[in-house]
Amino acid sequence: MFADGLFLVFAVLAVLGAAGLILFRHPMNGAMSFVVTLIALAGLYALLSAKLIFALQLIVYAGAIMSLIVFIIMFLNIQPSDLPKEETKLLYIIGSMIAVFPIGMFLVKIVKSLPKSSTEIIGNNFGGVKQVGLLLFKDWLVPFEIVSILLLVSLIGAVILAGKREAVK
Amino acid sequence: MIHNYLFLSIILFCLGIVGVISRRNVFTVFMSIELMLNAANLAFVAFSRIHQSMDGHVLAMMVMAVAAAEAALALAVVILLHKHKSKLDTNVFSLLKG
Repeated sequence: MFADGLFLVFAVLAVLGAAGLILFRHPMNGAMSFVVTLIALAGLYALLSAKLIFALQLIVYAGAIMSLIVFIIMFLNIQPSDLPKEETKLLYIIGSMIAVFPIGMFLVKIVKSLPKSSTEIIGNNFGGVKQVGLLLFKDWLVPFEIVSILLLVSLIGAVILAGKREAVK
Repeated sequence: MIHNYLFLSIILFCLGIVGVISRRNVFTVFMSIELMLNAANLAFVAFSRIHQSMDGHVLAMMVMAVAAAEAALALAVVILLHKHKSKLDTNVFSLLKG
């Protein structure tokens, strides 16, 4: 099947990008490999016939949020000497993998108990802008408004935190 | 199979936890948290494909908005910390340690 092959490619890309994020020393390399993960996840959303989320993942996540992070990393002008010395990084990674392993196996056991279902692309405008928008403004209107307030609060908070100190005094 | 998507989501989430625990660079820790949010998003979309209802898509959009707000605030805090200590090591930031 063509879709299975695509899933395999995107899954491998996503896991490799995430591993690169954890292993690279400089945050810029980590951010670049994280962008690979985000784009691979966008492909997976398309395979799950979530068209709107596919577009939003590319525009909002890989476009806006990651460019903000990359901008800040460049803005701080990080030299290799500024980075924390992590001599015991591999040891910590192996140790935390051992600590996380039981949680992962628990989740795998939960997933295995779910009924099987196919992942064929479904039509009927499933996941399209109109369908999701109708659902968003009918059943999810109150959470939507709360999210808008959250965005406003974080906007004001970011301006106050990163703004000039002298202006406050 | 839909299970493969959920297994991938579990793997990404566990990698995010490993990144948060084991790394000391502020940016890497922050991006690991974003990775965990993305893994949750993948699980939401996969479950909404199982049930053929689009509530998961709406929830994924909410998570994206929360991630954007979190990114704006967290990066402001990182700039502030870098201004004060000019370091990116999470071990340096221990002002609240008793």
